[in-house]
Parts: sequence; C-alpha cells; structure tokens
Amino acid sequence: MLEVEGLAKRYGEVVAIRDLSLHLDAGSTLVLLGQNGAGKTTALRCLSGLLLPTAGRVLVGGRDSALEPDAVRAQVGLVPEVPGLYDRMPARGYLDFFGRIYGLDEATRSRRIGRLLELFDLADAGERWLGSFSKGMRQKVALIRATLHRPPLVLADEPTSALDPDSSRVAWRYLEELRADGAALVVCTHNLEEAQALAGEIGIMSGGRLLALGELQQLTRAAGLKKRREVVERPTLEEVYLAIVGNGAEDEARPA
Amino acid sequence: MRLDRRKALLVAERDFRDAAGDLRLALAMAGLAIVIPIAAGSGIRALVLFGGGLSDLVERVSIVGAFFVVFLPASYSLVLALESFVGERERATLEVLLSTSLKEAEIYVGKVASVLAISLFLCFGALLVYCAVTFPGLGYFPLGVLVSLGVSTICQVAAMVAGAVIVSANARTMRAANVMASFIILPMSIVLQVEAALILVGRGELLWGFAAAMAVGAFILLRMGLGGFSREALLSRDAGTKGRLRRAKRALADAYGKAPGGLTLIRARLVPILASLLAFPVGAGLGYLAAGVLPGRVVGPVLSSVLAAAGRPDPASLALAVFLHNLLAIVVAGLLAAVTLGLTGYLLTALPGALVGYAAAVSSWSLALTGILPNGLIEIPVAAIAGGLAIHIGASAIHMEPDGGWTRRLLGAQAELAKALLWLVPLLAIGALLEAYAAQLPR
Repeated sequence: MLEVEGLAKRYGEVVAIRDLSLHLDAGSTLVLLGQNGAGKTTALRCLSGLLLPTAGRVLVGGRDSALEPDAVRAQVGLVPEVPGLYDRMPARGYLDFFGRIYGLDEATRSRRIGRLLELFDLADAGERWLGSFSKGMRQKVALIRATLHRPPLVLADEPTSALDPDSSRVAWRYLEELRADGAALVVCTHNLEEAQALAGEIGIMSGGRLLALGELQQLTRAAGLKKRREVVERPTLEEVYLAIVGNGAEDEARPA
Repeated sequence: MRLDRRKALLVAERDFRDAAGDLRLALAMAGLAIVIPIAAGSGIRALVLFGGGLSDLVERVSIVGAFFVVFLPASYSLVLALESFVGERERATLEVLLSTSLKEAEIYVGKVASVLAISLFLCFGALLVYCAVTFPGLGYFPLGVLVSLGVSTICQVAAMVAGAVIVSANARTMRAANVMASFIILPMSIVLQVEAALILVGRGELLWGFAAAMAVGAFILLRMGLGGFSREALLSRDAGTKGRLRRAKRALADAYGKAPGGLTLIRARLVPILASLLAFPVGAGLGYLAAGVLPGRVVGPVLSSVLAAAGRPDPASLALAVFLHNLLAIVVAGLLAAVTLGLTGYLLTALPGALVGYAAAVSSWSLALTGILPNGLIEIPVAAIAGGLAIHIGASAIHMEPDGGWTRRLLGAQAELAKALLWLVPLLAIGALLEAYAAQLPR
C-alpha cells in the first residue's frame, strides 16, 4: 500500500527528513516514535502528498506522490496534530462538507456520519457549533473527518493526545477496525504504551532519520538490550526507545 | 490546470456561509454599506438645496461621493480575504483543506469567488443606495462615469483579494498580515484620491484609463496569487523561519557570486534587454507626437532657463555631471524596479528616446540624432542592458512559483544588476567623456 524509497525533505537549509525508506502492506500498522522535531510530522505530510519529497519517492497504492499528488491525497486520510476545525460550523455540517469534497453521495455521507458520531459519543452534539467543543471532542471530529471516505491509508499524528482513556480506547478500536478492513495505518505518538499495544511495526526517528524499524523483538535486538545484564528478559518499548534514541540522538535535525 | 468547478463552488459556498454567518460582522458591513451612502447622498442633496442649486462643482462632488461610497465596502474585501487565507492558515484549517483531494486552484478560486461575491454585493449595494438617495430629481445622472466606476471596482476588489493571497503566502499570523496589507490598501487609497482629483478637475474620461490599469493590476496579482498558492509554499515556510536577515544576506552574496558577467549575462537576459532597447524608438515616437501637445514655444523657455541655470561648465565638470546623472538614473531604476514591476527598466530608454523624438519634432530627425552622437552609441546600449536587468527584477517580483523562493529570486535579479554595474560604470564614464569632449552640445 505504501512504498517509500530514500525520501528526503529539506526546508531551505534545514534537512527535516533524510533517506527514509519503508514499506507498508494493506492491513498493517506502523507506529512512528521520536522526540519533538524528529521529523515525524514532515514525514506524514510527505507520505500524504501534502508536501513533495526533495529526493526519493513515495508511492501510495502504486501512485507516485510527485506525479499524481491529487490521486495520492484521495487515497489518504490525514489526522493532523492540530484538529483544524471550522468553529462556526455544526459538527454534522462540517463532516458533510468534507464528505462532499471526497465525492461521497448523500446517503453514504449521512449513514457514515451518523454511525461515527454515535461511535464517538457525539451524536447529541451533531448540531452544535464546533467552536463549543472540548479539545477531546475536536480530536474525535478530526479523526472522523479524515476517515470518512474510508481511505486505504490512514496517517495519524498523535490522534489520541487530547482524549481521555475511555475515548482513547474507542479511537484505537476504531483505527483497529479500519486496519482490519484493509487500511494501512501510520501513527505518530509519544504514548509508548499505546504504541506497544498496537502490535505492528515500530519506527524510531531522530534528527530526520529513521534509526530503527521493525517489530519490538527486532528493535530490542537492534538496541542490544538483551546483552546487558541489568535489563530484564523482556524489555519494554520505553527501554528500547531510550536505548536507540540515546545512540542516535546526536543526529538532531541540522543544516546539511 | 484542470479545475472541478463543483468543488471550487463547494469551497466558495462554505466560505460565503462562514463570512455571512458571522452576524455581528455581517450587520456591521451591511450597516456601513447602507448608512454611509445615505449620509453621503443626503449631504449632496443638502448642498444642492442650501448651496444655491445644482452647479458644476456639485455635480463633480456627487461623482466623487460615489467613488468614496464604493471604496469603503471594497476595502472589506481585504479583511475578508485575509481572514479567509491567513486566518485559516493560522488556525490550521487551511492545512486540513489542503490535505484533501482538492486541487490548489479549486481552493484558490473558491475562496477568491466567495470574497468577491460578498464584497461586490456590498459595493454595488452601496452604490445603488447612494444613487437612489442622491440623483432623483437633480436632473442629471452620470451613467458613463458610474459604469467606469463599476468596472474599476470589480478589478480593485479582485486586486485586493489577490494581494491578500500573496500576503497570506508570506505571513504566518494575522498580525503580520495586517501590517503587510498596508502595502495593498495604501496604494488603493492613493488611486482613489487621484480618481477624485481627476473628477474634480473635470477629466472624468481618464477614469477609463484607471479602470484599464486596475484590470491589468488585478490580472497580474490574481496570476501571482494562483502561482504562490501552493501546498509546498504554504506549509514548507512554516519551517526555517529563523535568521531571515542572515539568510537574505547569504542569498544575496550567493546570487552575486553566481551572477554571470558580460556577454553571458546579455545572452541570458536577451529578451528583457531587447524589450528595453525597443522602448527607445517607442519613446522617440511618443516624444515626437508629444510635440503636438507641448509645442516648442512652451517647452523652449523652460529648457533655456534650465540650461542657463547649469551655466557653461568646463568639459571635465560636464563629464562628471553627465556620468553621475546616468549612473543615478540606472541605480534609481534598479531600486524602484521591484515596486514598479519593471516599469523603470522601460523608462530608462523610453525617456531619452522621448527627448530625441521631441527634439526631432521641433527640428529634424537628423539634427536630433546628431545631438546624441557619438556618446549615444555607448549610453543607449548601456541603458538598454541596465533597463533589461531592471525589467527582469520587476518580472521576478511578480513571479511566484509553487515552491516559493520569491525573496531568493528577487535578490538574485538585483545581484545581476549590481554585478553588471562593474562593467557598465566604466562604459558610462567613457560615454560621459565622449559627450563632454567630442559631442557638439546645443547651447
């Protein structure tokens, strides 16, 4: 579903991403971890066709983001870190607007919006203006908006950062449902427990580089933790993450 | 670029509802669009009633009133456009819109259409109210001027909206955008004042020229806005905003270092150089025609007094004066090229051409051309090269590319002129020496 080869992105003199390569099949999950400024958001923007690569290429469903950016974006659902909602629109009208942008017919829009508002416990707030929504409610609406057209690739930048534990569980269950239906998920998060629970591939980024990529066991080996006496047999993702980022932290984003 | 009109309409419809749905703002805009025309129209009627009836002056003031009444709602377009582009960018709603399958052109056209619709509705509404209050029973109705006002208003609003888009590509916050918007609203208010002055001195027919100039300006700005409104430009610039002055200095130094010299530069900028060169005969033709409007008996005494004031300098002083004058003209043309969109590049050759043409009209072509020989053989090509580089600076100022880099391109164009001065200045000095020592100057 997603093929990334040697992706690099520069903003003027600042190199935000360097030599990022990865592959993601339909129905699989990739969790991207990294400190602030590691390049996760830029990576998601490049994967979504929102930004063009400076070098390398991104293929979504076989389409090159540099050659067919519109077609790539049509296949992607991007949940940005900031929900970016129109405050003077009711939730239902807002979601309907984006459903129309994605070319969904009225019946499909109505059905999906009704179901998702129900799922995220927002059915009663459907006619309220988004400006009156709490932070968590806004994040839920952003998640619904990005996935309303059932995109085969969902890119989520900290999708549950403002949600309470219950809502967070609903959101993850929903993303899991999308994955089970065949969508590929790329999720950026700082929540290592959630990342571990997602049980997919994990990528650790620092200074615009992908330092490590693989399942937890592979990362554990890459970090060399099992060789250390002080570490228990089954290290947590936090220990693995700190070990890997500690090794590569000197590669902070810097001018080329 | 192919554009799905339905999708553009979808964006326009949402933006329209958003702006019109803000009741306080809508009421304020509608109130001003109604109250001000009524007040202005009533003022004109009072002038007729208590000022001794309808006079030529009152007629002209009533037309000026129409221009002011329309300008106020037209200026709202800037507020609406800034809110629609910069405001959305600041609140991250623009990023969401950009992350969908919409093309940039669909978002751009939709947003521009929505702002235009609201602003023009207010402008023409205000004009109708003003006409309904002012003209009934007065015995005249300046239809021609009002039509030119209508056309110029459409272009004025379009220019302001497009200007706001360009601002949005370069401003991250509404505060910065509001400051940058002064560069749009101030020239527009100057245009309004010139228009008012033309009406008051009874040259209303020239307003069509303003309408045409406004149409050209709107077209250029809309094109620039479309060129600059890209995902890459809007989102990439969120990063790398530190040390701008340092980066600009480095970009200028880089551009200066990389700028080609001599013949390579002439080959690279051949088209604008030829355009500047062509301005010389065009200017000469216009100067020749101008002699019919400004006869020699009018200009002659002025020229004589200027020459008398200059005295009879020795050749060395004359050479220095000519050299400094020509150098100053090139430097000023280069400095003003960006804000005049390259016009100064044409003027650099067109104005001397106009003087030659004028001289030819009052004497003969052979005499006029003899007056600029042999120094003209050096000075005219130098002016054409400098003019061409100034035109290139102007072209760089109105050209926006999806990946941004406007500042870098503009600095690069200016660096080319600066580097060219290294060899243009000695040529200017040779031209000045020839003019002082070899040419037969008229006295």
